[in-house]
Amino acid sequence: MKSLMEYIGIEPERYQTAWISGAEGIKFKETMENLVSDITRLGPNRKLRDMR
Amino acid sequence: MKAIENKIKEIAARLLQSGEVNIFLAWEKGDYEYQSKPYFARSVDEVDKIVFDQYCIHNLSNSLLKFRDSSDKIGLVVKGCDSRGIVRLLQDNQIERSRLYIVGVACPGMKDPLLAMKNNSGLFKPETEPEVAAKCQTCRYPNPVIYDELLGDEQTPRPQDTRYAQVDAIEQMTADERYKFFEDTLSKCIRCYACRQACVACNCRLCIFDEMRPQWVGRETSLSDNMMYHLVRASHMAGRCIECGECERVCPVNIPLMLINRKLIKDVDKFFGPYDAGIKYEEGSKPPLSLYQENDPDNFI
Repeated sequence: MKSLMEYIGIEPERYQTAWISGAEGIKFKETMENLVSDITRLGPNRKLRDMR
Repeated sequence: MKAIENKIKEIAARLLQSGEVNIFLAWEKGDYEYQSKPYFARSVDEVDKIVFDQYCIHNLSNSLLKFRDSSDKIGLVVKGCDSRGIVRLLQDNQIERSRLYIVGVACPGMKDPLLAMKNNSGLFKPETEPEVAAKCQTCRYPNPVIYDELLGDEQTPRPQDTRYAQVDAIEQMTADERYKFFEDTLSKCIRCYACRQACVACNCRLCIFDEMRPQWVGRETSLSDNMMYHLVRASHMAGRCIECGECERVCPVNIPLMLINRKLIKDVDKFFGPYDAGIKYEEGSKPPLSLYQENDPDNFI
């Protein structure tokens, strides 16, 4: 998936997959924080967004 | 070709007569010389209509999907590429081997009927017709990989050094150039779904793009929805695409779909390979992505 996104020119960091159990609140928090910081670094997405 | 055609007729008549099959899939002639279309013969009287010529480019293994819920016994004619499609269908448990009688034809390469049609239409400036269609020029498996009966002389695989050349060229571009390229090519898509219909690997019973209000993806003919459609389709093709090139051939707006498919083929080959989809059928064997293994790579998800 990431490799395909990269191929068509979309930053692969925008898509992340993680396996988190319902009992792993902390891991969920950390994953989300990382995702947000990754995406903030990339800036707003302008791709795949026409007409919306 | 004519000799092969006669043999196909003979076999079809024999199988339908003895009741070994109820349906025999081959081709018949259309209105014009360059039109050969899939034909389902259901009785011996219908066998006469069968043809086999340079324009029998359609992949008949795709038609097997129409019969996956029936109990009909089916005979069909396959070329090299089509036979790989059958192997993939068998591996995906879409049809049972015992229901099939496969007549393999070693394929010298077919001509492109769409190009011939354009040349004859008077609407386009005629182009010189190559000896074989574009997709056949780089065919790696002209000989059927699965068959009950084999016709024709064995063919040598055609040169393949350029297989990933276009994929590599795109990978060399910067991310923005790549996005621009795919924006340009995919914005042409009119969402006719010809690529999906022609594809033997596209075998979902209900395609998400046929739902009235699918979630996550849209049905609009807009750039972002087009891109989503082609991405979803491409990822479903991973490990399934047999490189028959039918999607690209039938595309009315000439989108280079094999560029996306080949990227997936290259990735599957790299991460799970060496692997070529549908080149060998062993009962019960599982191709990559149909099987979970502890050591499967996952750094690309």
